[in-house]
Amino acid sequence: MGGIAVILSIVCIFIFLVKEVIPVFFPPHGTQVGHVAGAPPSAAFPQSSLIGMDEYQEIIYQLTAGSDRQIRFFNVQSGAPIILDLPPELATVHVTAIARAVGVGNRFAFGTDDGRIVPVTIDFTAGYEAGVRLIVPAVTLGIPIQLTPAKEPIIRLAYQPTERGTFTAALTDHGRLWYAALPSDDTPIALTGHGSESVTAVIFDSRGETLSIGTAAGSLYHYEVREGSPPSLVETASVVPGASVTALSYLIGDRSLAIGSSAGDVSVWMPVRQAQESSTTRFRLIHRFDAHPSSVTAISPSLRDKGFITGDTQGNLFVHYSTSSQTLLKLQGNQQAIRTLTFSPKADGAVALTDRGELLTYTIHNPHPEVTFAALFKPVWYEGYEKPEHVWQSSSGADDFEAKFGLIPLIFGTLKGTLYAMLVAVPLALLGAIYTSMFMHPNIRAKIKPTIEIMAALPTVILGFLAGLWLAPMLERMFPAIVAMIVAVPASVVIATVLWQYLPAATVRRLRPGMESFVLVPVIICAVWACLGLNQQIESFLFGADYKSWFATHWGLRYDQRNALVVGFAMGFAIVPIIFSISEEALSNVPRHLIAGSLALGATRWQTLVKLVLISASPGIFSASMIGFGRAIGETMIVLMATGNTPIMDWSLFNGFRTLSANIAVEIPEAPHGGTLYRILFLAAMLLFVFTFLINTVAEVVRQRLRTKYSQY
Amino acid sequence: MLTSFKKFLASGNVFIWGCAAGVSISLLMVFGLLLLIMINGLTYFWISDIVELTLKDKQHVMGQLAGREIIPRSITPDRPEGKGRLRVKIGNRDIYGLDFKWVNDDQIVSEVYPADVVLLERREWGNMYARIKTLNRGEAVQAEGNEAGWIALAPLIDAASDLHRQITRIEKVEIGSINADIEQARLKIRAFEIGNPSAPDTRGRGHIDDLKAQVVAAESRYQEKTAELEALRTQFDEYSVVMVDANGREKQIPVGQIIRALRPNEMGLFHKSWIYLANVWSVLSNEPREANTEGGIFPAIFGTVMMVIIMSLIVVPFGVLAALYLREYARQGVMVRLVRIAVNNLAGVPSIVFGVFGLGFFIYAIGGTLDTLFFPERLPTPTFGTGGILWASLTLALLTVPVVIVSTEEGLAAVPREFREGSLALGATKLETMLKVVIPSALPGILTGLILAMARAAGEVAPLMLTGVVKLAPSLPVDGSWPFFHFDRKFMHLGFHIYDVGFQSPNVEAAKPMVYITTLVLITVVVLLNCTAIVLRNHLRKKYAGSVL
Repeated sequence: MGGIAVILSIVCIFIFLVKEVIPVFFPPHGTQVGHVAGAPPSAAFPQSSLIGMDEYQEIIYQLTAGSDRQIRFFNVQSGAPIILDLPPELATVHVTAIARAVGVGNRFAFGTDDGRIVPVTIDFTAGYEAGVRLIVPAVTLGIPIQLTPAKEPIIRLAYQPTERGTFTAALTDHGRLWYAALPSDDTPIALTGHGSESVTAVIFDSRGETLSIGTAAGSLYHYEVREGSPPSLVETASVVPGASVTALSYLIGDRSLAIGSSAGDVSVWMPVRQAQESSTTRFRLIHRFDAHPSSVTAISPSLRDKGFITGDTQGNLFVHYSTSSQTLLKLQGNQQAIRTLTFSPKADGAVALTDRGELLTYTIHNPHPEVTFAALFKPVWYEGYEKPEHVWQSSSGADDFEAKFGLIPLIFGTLKGTLYAMLVAVPLALLGAIYTSMFMHPNIRAKIKPTIEIMAALPTVILGFLAGLWLAPMLERMFPAIVAMIVAVPASVVIATVLWQYLPAATVRRLRPGMESFVLVPVIICAVWACLGLNQQIESFLFGADYKSWFATHWGLRYDQRNALVVGFAMGFAIVPIIFSISEEALSNVPRHLIAGSLALGATRWQTLVKLVLISASPGIFSASMIGFGRAIGETMIVLMATGNTPIMDWSLFNGFRTLSANIAVEIPEAPHGGTLYRILFLAAMLLFVFTFLINTVAEVVRQRLRTKYSQY
Repeated sequence: MLTSFKKFLASGNVFIWGCAAGVSISLLMVFGLLLLIMINGLTYFWISDIVELTLKDKQHVMGQLAGREIIPRSITPDRPEGKGRLRVKIGNRDIYGLDFKWVNDDQIVSEVYPADVVLLERREWGNMYARIKTLNRGEAVQAEGNEAGWIALAPLIDAASDLHRQITRIEKVEIGSINADIEQARLKIRAFEIGNPSAPDTRGRGHIDDLKAQVVAAESRYQEKTAELEALRTQFDEYSVVMVDANGREKQIPVGQIIRALRPNEMGLFHKSWIYLANVWSVLSNEPREANTEGGIFPAIFGTVMMVIIMSLIVVPFGVLAALYLREYARQGVMVRLVRIAVNNLAGVPSIVFGVFGLGFFIYAIGGTLDTLFFPERLPTPTFGTGGILWASLTLALLTVPVVIVSTEEGLAAVPREFREGSLALGATKLETMLKVVIPSALPGILTGLILAMARAAGEVAPLMLTGVVKLAPSLPVDGSWPFFHFDRKFMHLGFHIYDVGFQSPNVEAAKPMVYITTLVLITVVVLLNCTAIVLRNHLRKKYAGSVL
């Protein structure tokens, strides 16, 4: 019963971890949930309708061009219209184009048939009436601006109010493109960089620094916008060859530009630095998404992450996620063209306006859009990077931050730390185990083994603290001495052996076998002492003046104080006793009569050891190393305290790294329950669990086999 | 020569010595580590003499010597060989901003140990090394000069400590219990409102009014106590000393801020030893000060012990039952092999994974459910839905159960067959044999397992970081207010204390001694527990070694 409880608890842990992780990989789902009859958009003007939603997602609104001078508000749940007195100024305006400002809030501009721009803001205030939340919209009109000198009607419009001023660009029905920045450059400027191509999309980024213009020829023109000087054309790119650009939208953060084409293609482009250290960037295609079957009509970005939705002329609505290059969800339409759409502020729903004037509402359940298998384990092309890379950076201060959940740097760090620890621990533990089991007098062995066991019981937090606060600074000062020790300590042992041969045989015989290690203690202390004392001389001899600059100039290595070398020593120290005890057990269990036989046949102690004992105990030694490996992989406190916890991928001894386990310890206190980061950290824990489970199972099976084998003798 | 070298190699002696070196290095590392911690930890309690250095630029440096080294090349690349420097703990953090100062040997003109220097141990800003200029009461000077001030200061400090004790008692115990009363009443009101959301009936209304009256009464008691505190505080700040440092800079310090005033240079060896012991005791029994970098570690010791005890209560039955099943009841076959593999696996699962499991399962799943079921009035503030000592203990119980199983099994295996057969032959049932013969004989094994588990639990930190350890717990998990044991409270832990003080505190250099002391305490506990376990186990092995045949 108790035994079953143990198995159960193992299974339980595993199932629980899986249960917490698996929602990350659930495909998103969504449906169209309702429709509300709005006003049909005007067919005469391409940019004649806009829809939006308040942040509580209770009210949707529609703005329509044409003679209809209303802004319509509807309750999402009931579809009931909300009656509102509109500003009287609106009565005199004849709207021909509507543009929404990029970013949070409901800021718009109307373009009129006489070439003016009227800024509009819709505010929602939440009040409570009898315990029920009531959202009340309010519309404010700004001061109109005359943008086209010839008073031509505006058919396309881009509008972006910022802290530095309000930026506007408008296309007239004569095909001229006008730009003005208020209040500094209030004389409109005609933009002619696109030549004779007809403009099909105009947009500013949210900071008002770039103006992007898409044309019917499939080209994109980038203008750099500065106050006080006319916009300068910085780049031209052919983004959708053979088709026209039909929709443009900046994703949150203003770096990625989503482009939709008349052929149905959806892609994300970013400025990429040409070379390291260079400041010139080029616009490049980074992510390509599943294409729509027909022309893309609208793109709406998410306000929370790098997701966006697109609609087409057949009424299909697709949900994409930029970072992972994934089209997450395809909602089939009913052949009614989507005119415009909006992603809800919490990115869990959408509203689309069809050509017939119907407002379709969707729910989209997509709590973990950023996670795919590829995003976790493959290089991803993040914003601001020159090429796809493995990066772990789960959070930052900025809201428009692109979360980078590449687990590879953490797995790399885990393996790196483990490898260096094994390099220290395995030789030491094996040599010790061989000696203790084969050559030591049982009485001494009975004293040595508990000492090593106590070494195993030392809390790792103590090792970590000593590694971080004592060993790391010491190593930094004494690095040349440590290098010298690698040679000096073995050399001192060899010298001691040679000298031992010349001691009178009588003295030697009086010592019990196993005293060699005690004889060696002062020898090794002397060797270490000499190395530390001669640190400066060794440094001058090996590295010229300063070892850090030597490594920097010769090998291009930078020395961090808390590095892999420190971890190697500290974690090596932690796993020595485990490897020691298990391999010692395996070695001692080699049947005595085999050893006696070998010795009787004239083999020396060493020959017996190498040719017989080591070979028959090798599975045990293997399993000991595996168990030590498993222990090192999951070790948390030492790496947490003795490395800089920087998730970089570099095999250098002198760099820090971040392991899966330390990452969990560092980040889980800040991860909200049930969020993406929380689940990814559970995934990291699950990886650790599975990894150690496999290793331990293999090791345990090998050990049990070995035990049965020996019991035959 | 060559042949003798070949012979030497062939004998393999050099390799055997190489193996011996493996043992030697391991031993050196263990004892070196223990020695390092002991030296660093134990020297902290010793009050060393205060040195006053006069430098070439006529500046004076006063403080306790903290180290001496050869100047590293990175600081002075072209210095003549062999120049050294001193590290002096200059204290007076409020004046200098730094605790330590390096003084190059060649800068020093004279080095004296003046008998009249005073060391003030303060509640804030660390130690001060200075001389007394005046002792004031309010604005009026009470005593002038170092000697007069020193004589007048001692009784005042005693009085101030009494006052401080009084203030802490009022703050912690009396005001604490008033706050608890208010909170209780508030929760009762809330619970009542949740129970009858629409309209509390008249009886309920009366009950609520009753409770509200209680709250008002408690609040007025609270006002009284704060007034009392205020009075004590003014008394506390009545006296002050003006200290003057080695360079003549003055600093006024209220006597209430002083914990102790010493003149280490005057003290004899005996007096210093006495102070040494007092220091050890004060660290073990006091609460931390100054973001944990000074004061004591009592709450951390208490939290560790408490957590280990709760864990033991859970882990022993579970582990012993599992071992009994494995050894006594199960038929040796595939199933038992599987269980063994599972046990070993459980032992090999990284501790942080247990922490993650504890966080997700115990805290969010079980704790969250408990909160909605039993403590709805406290939501959204979680009661059991956040880290606490119970969850931490449960997590560690899961982590240490393999230790108990393995060692109980060993204990059971050592019980000779004859015992069992004899008992069964005398007519005892299997259960009786188990309870009266086998388990008592295997008790040392069980105990060994328990002690090893305790040692492991005392040293684990990673899982605790996720399940309820905090850097500074406002109150202990056991106190005088009902129900006395508060399993939902967060707690402090020695291991986490090491991590937190050593790596998260703003002034790591000043915190180091505290970290070494905590380490020393933790290591002492762990090593003692392990030694006990080893002795017990050897005893067990010997006890039955003869009787098997």
